[in-house]
Amino acid sequence: MTQFSERDLKKLAGSIYDLDEKVYNILGSSLGRVFNSGKKRAVIYMVSIMASGKGYVLRNEMALISNMARTIPNKEERKKVMIEYDQLLHQIMELPTNQMTVDILDEDLAKLKTIRLKHRFDEEDKFIICIERTYGCGGTGIGFALADALQINYYDDEIFDEVLKRLEAEKKYNIDHGGFSYKNAGTEGYQYTEPAFKAEEKPTLKRKFEDFSRYHGLPKRDAQFFNQSHLLCDMAKEEDFVIMGHCADIILKRNHIPHLSILLTAPFELRVQRILKVNPNMDEKHVRKLVKQQDEKYGQYYRFFTGMDWEDPSHYDIAVNCSAYGVQGTVDMIQHLLKRNFE
Amino acid sequence: MKKLYCLLSAFMMILANPMTALASQSGESAAETVPIWLCIPFAGLLLCIAILPLIKEEWWEKNKPYAVIFWSLLFIIPFAVMYGAGTATETVLECMINDYMTFIVLLFGLFCVAGNITLEGDLAGSPRVNIIMLVLGTLLSSVIGTTGSSMLMVRPVIKANSWRKRRSHIMVFFIFLVSNIGGCLTPIGDPPLLMGFSRGVPFFWSLHLFPVLLFNMIVILFVFYWLDRRNYRKDIAEGLMPDISKPGTTISIKGLHNLIFLVMIIAAVILSGVLPDMPMFQNAAGEVLGIPIFGEVRLTIPALIEVAMILLAAFLSFKTTSVEIRKKNHFTWGAIQEVAVLFVGIFITMQPALMILKVMGPNLGISHPFQMFWVTGALSSFLDNTPTYLVFLTTAGSMSFAQGITTTLGVIPVKMLMAISCGAVFMGANTYIGNAPNFMVKSISDENGIHMPSFFGYLFWSVRVLIPVFLLDTIVFFLF
Repeated sequence: MTQFSERDLKKLAGSIYDLDEKVYNILGSSLGRVFNSGKKRAVIYMVSIMASGKGYVLRNEMALISNMARTIPNKEERKKVMIEYDQLLHQIMELPTNQMTVDILDEDLAKLKTIRLKHRFDEEDKFIICIERTYGCGGTGIGFALADALQINYYDDEIFDEVLKRLEAEKKYNIDHGGFSYKNAGTEGYQYTEPAFKAEEKPTLKRKFEDFSRYHGLPKRDAQFFNQSHLLCDMAKEEDFVIMGHCADIILKRNHIPHLSILLTAPFELRVQRILKVNPNMDEKHVRKLVKQQDEKYGQYYRFFTGMDWEDPSHYDIAVNCSAYGVQGTVDMIQHLLKRNFE
Repeated sequence: MKKLYCLLSAFMMILANPMTALASQSGESAAETVPIWLCIPFAGLLLCIAILPLIKEEWWEKNKPYAVIFWSLLFIIPFAVMYGAGTATETVLECMINDYMTFIVLLFGLFCVAGNITLEGDLAGSPRVNIIMLVLGTLLSSVIGTTGSSMLMVRPVIKANSWRKRRSHIMVFFIFLVSNIGGCLTPIGDPPLLMGFSRGVPFFWSLHLFPVLLFNMIVILFVFYWLDRRNYRKDIAEGLMPDISKPGTTISIKGLHNLIFLVMIIAAVILSGVLPDMPMFQNAAGEVLGIPIFGEVRLTIPALIEVAMILLAAFLSFKTTSVEIRKKNHFTWGAIQEVAVLFVGIFITMQPALMILKVMGPNLGISHPFQMFWVTGALSSFLDNTPTYLVFLTTAGSMSFAQGITTTLGVIPVKMLMAISCGAVFMGANTYIGNAPNFMVKSISDENGIHMPSFFGYLFWSVRVLIPVFLLDTIVFFLF
């Protein structure tokens, strides 16, 4: 049995992707292709299939490429493509049924999550910190202070504003489901504003038709999420930044962009007390309800787009109980961790 | 062991015994004495279609025509030995010229014309968009026929969902609704209803089926929505995204002038149902005029007109449409070739089953609408639904009912007619071979990167989704 190194598998996967692309380009079709998610992701997907000994899954995908290849009208071109197809299929057939030993390690994830951060981020990679936080734990202030300390950009609802600009949509008809509502209180950082998650203005029928076209037939929230995902991936090529909420950690993970993910939280009671201190004119009963509601709504949003539980610490690099360190203490601790891990 | 022997003996007796009881009742023609074992080639061909793509895909791709020839000969030769070469030739020519030719020419025409129309614009396939497209396609099926609507809508649906990974279920529900159920409202929708129309069922009578259609649409689309939503979320969770970087989308249709040719094809189909009843197309004996081919087989003038009009429409469509549109549509001959080859065999080998059905149908003791619905439907799932519909329409017409719709076959109660029509139209969705567009949609999807379920896989979908819906139909519309 031929032994395949990871490099071999990547090369093979790349060739399969290229063949799919070639067939699609020759046909000039606009109806879609087999691997429609970009080369990097397709290669990772194929390598994971090959490595787990599920060569038959890949053979099924190959069958779809061959279905398309057989419809190439030019005989010479078709013959060339089919020869290439046969060669690749032959290589797939040679794959061992079990390439990997049984391990708990998710290699792809492990690469993104290398303990020594300096190994995680290559020279050309930007330094991105994704912070998810429960409502009222002081996460916004921590994120802002951390960005300030690291002298990198900070994004929260600015992301949403940019998404709306890209979609040519008006803010009064749209709500940012990916984050909490805060206002910039100057030197005091970001503070809670009311009403968070306020109802958006009810659209007229005409407006609904316009929205159908504006959002490509997608629900408004989904279109915003997709646009936001594209925006984050573009930004990740350009600059270092701290991003709050917006499922940024999962978006970057899915797109294989190195980043550091942090979950900030605190016990429910302490979060309620903190909000009451920041907003003394608010009623405690109302705050309790609000905290629950905010967490739930963001949790639903997060689960809808990622299929994961937002408060599950297992998919973050660092999970912090902010009540144990305070806002500045948490910032210092994270900075300390970063410093140690970059050494 | 003894039990097994008895079972085997009984099975062999059934296989070997021509249906002489039926023959003694009503004459000596081949149709009335066909033994059940002559249906084996039909079953064999269906099994090949179902199994070989799974276990010997490459081989099947290359040798499909030979398999069709093999099973066809396996019917024709014994049939010729039993009833004479003349009867066998007549039977094969009859089904080839009067059934298969019009079937495949219509399919070809619609395939060509629809392939020359392309939807521009980057609509992103989501549960909502898919529901809208399925509703549109379903309603369009009664206006331009299930085949026309399927061919017109299949590419826009594939294109909108091209960003997704899990999309085979969308095409399965597309077959359920657009390629079958949607065709129940007018005689243009599905060929059985056109036959009903030519037998005296009023043209707009089928609109009575609207509540049944609506009920089926609501239930099936409800199931679809939740299923599609789940798959949509899984796709998103895996990081798949549609490209919506440009703000807004403008939906435009290119090759729109082909709608004229589409109308021309629909007109040809309607004429094929209307012309045979007109005196100018009949001889003194009231028979439809035609060109004699062999024995009793004739190519009727209305069929000739239909074929000529459809081929002309296809030709004009090709001549007047830019190649670029076909390229964008990934227009290839693969799907129509596959259907043309397989259905030659299906049409020939299913003849004994249809002959038996014609004889047995009236003797099945079916007298209730729900029975009509299920028997017509079950047989339409595997056989051509047009003759199946006719057999049971004739049976119902001969029951001497006093009230109902007056047809040339007799008076048929509304509920009974509804049951036969729904059975024939709806249950064509149960299998890939139940209705012509089913296989076309499968082939086009296969060619465009969608993993369509196998024959049995599709059947499993039908059992899980359609059969419960048809049971509900039975309770709501046909049982009481």
